[in-house]
Amino acid sequence: MKSFFSLSIALTALNTNLNSAEAGMPQLDPKYWASQAFWLILVFVILYISLSKFYLPKIKSNLDNRENKIKEDLENANKFKEQSEAKLKEYGLILDKAKKEVNKIHFDSKNALDKNIQSKKEVIEKEIEKEILKAQKEISELKKNSISSIQNISENITANIIENISGDKLNESSVKSAVKEISKKNLSKYL
Amino acid sequence: MQQFTVHKIGPEINIAGVDLSFTNASLFMIISASLIILLLFVGSKEKKIIPSKIQLIAEMFYTFVAKMISDTAGSKAKPYFPFIFSLFMFVLFCNMVGMLPYSFTVTSHIIVTLIMALFIFIAVTVIGFIKHGFKYLSIFVPSGVPAVLLPLITIIEIISYLSRPVSLSVRLFANMMAGHTMLKVFGGFVVSLGILGGWLPLSFSVALTGLEILVAFLQAYVFAILTCIYLNDALNLHH
Repeated sequence: MKSFFSLSIALTALNTNLNSAEAGMPQLDPKYWASQAFWLILVFVILYISLSKFYLPKIKSNLDNRENKIKEDLENANKFKEQSEAKLKEYGLILDKAKKEVNKIHFDSKNALDKNIQSKKEVIEKEIEKEILKAQKEISELKKNSISSIQNISENITANIIENISGDKLNESSVKSAVKEISKKNLSKYL
Repeated sequence: MQQFTVHKIGPEINIAGVDLSFTNASLFMIISASLIILLLFVGSKEKKIIPSKIQLIAEMFYTFVAKMISDTAGSKAKPYFPFIFSLFMFVLFCNMVGMLPYSFTVTSHIIVTLIMALFIFIAVTVIGFIKHGFKYLSIFVPSGVPAVLLPLITIIEIISYLSRPVSLSVRLFANMMAGHTMLKVFGGFVVSLGILGGWLPLSFSVALTGLEILVAFLQAYVFAILTCIYLNDALNLHH
């Protein structure tokens, strides 16, 4: 590396000697110092004035505008966020209330319905009971009627049979009592 | 060294026996300043909330320098923001324009950097005396130094204070000149070693160009931040 650098320096020296007529650093030649100083000051003063009077305040106002805008937007966003949160809460409350109402309505209607059904059921049951009682009465009456008619029929039949067999007319009351006795024995089987 | 030579462009301007001719150095100063003004003109023309690309660049420079000043010199240095901004931009653009082939690097001339550094030095000293009167001289007497060492320290402080313009100007000038000389040297190698051996210096040249662009930015930054530090010394005396 060292030899490389020394070679490079040697080559540069050769190069400069070949290329440029004047040796040494042009920076140290005072011929154009005054000119450079003059133009530097002139250019820099113009640059300074134009920057400080026109461009920097513009950029500053741009930056400030943006910062203000961002701040404003953030504030607005926060405000809207709060508003939306409040609305959400309100909405939740309304929803809760509505749910409660729905439950109440549901419960009430169920109760009313139950009561209605119950009362109707009772009425119907009562009617059914009445009908049943009536039917039972009819049945028992029918039974009674049927028993007496059966007795009559059997009395007649016995009287006829006896008449046919013996040729005698038996005492009506004795036949009746005999039929009654037998039918009492046998009726208990059927009733 | 040919790239550093100053030559006259146009007629000779001679005012009171002093040669103030328009030279290539003056031309590149004007080019750099025009580029800055163009950038800032385009960058501040439209007042968009969402900036365009050039506006973004201009605003980035603005905030970069503003942050540099507020970080190093505090809020008292705000009135000097336009000056430091112009200084930073001027040095940066002169350095960057100097990186273009066949251009001229204004900041590679000691007289240019020396004038800027001397102006800063004198301005900072004047600001210091205006703000603090003769108390400004206490900058040479650091607090908490043993009495035996005090004369020695004071002398050192004075020397270091007086060498500020020299160090400031020579740093920029030497960096610029050395960088461009190196590029020239390696460029010369590429030519002299030809198509067979020229590839190594060519790759060096490419790498050095990248480095030099970095240096061009860095030196502008250093120049500006040292100005801020000197300003800070003058504005906020007790450090």
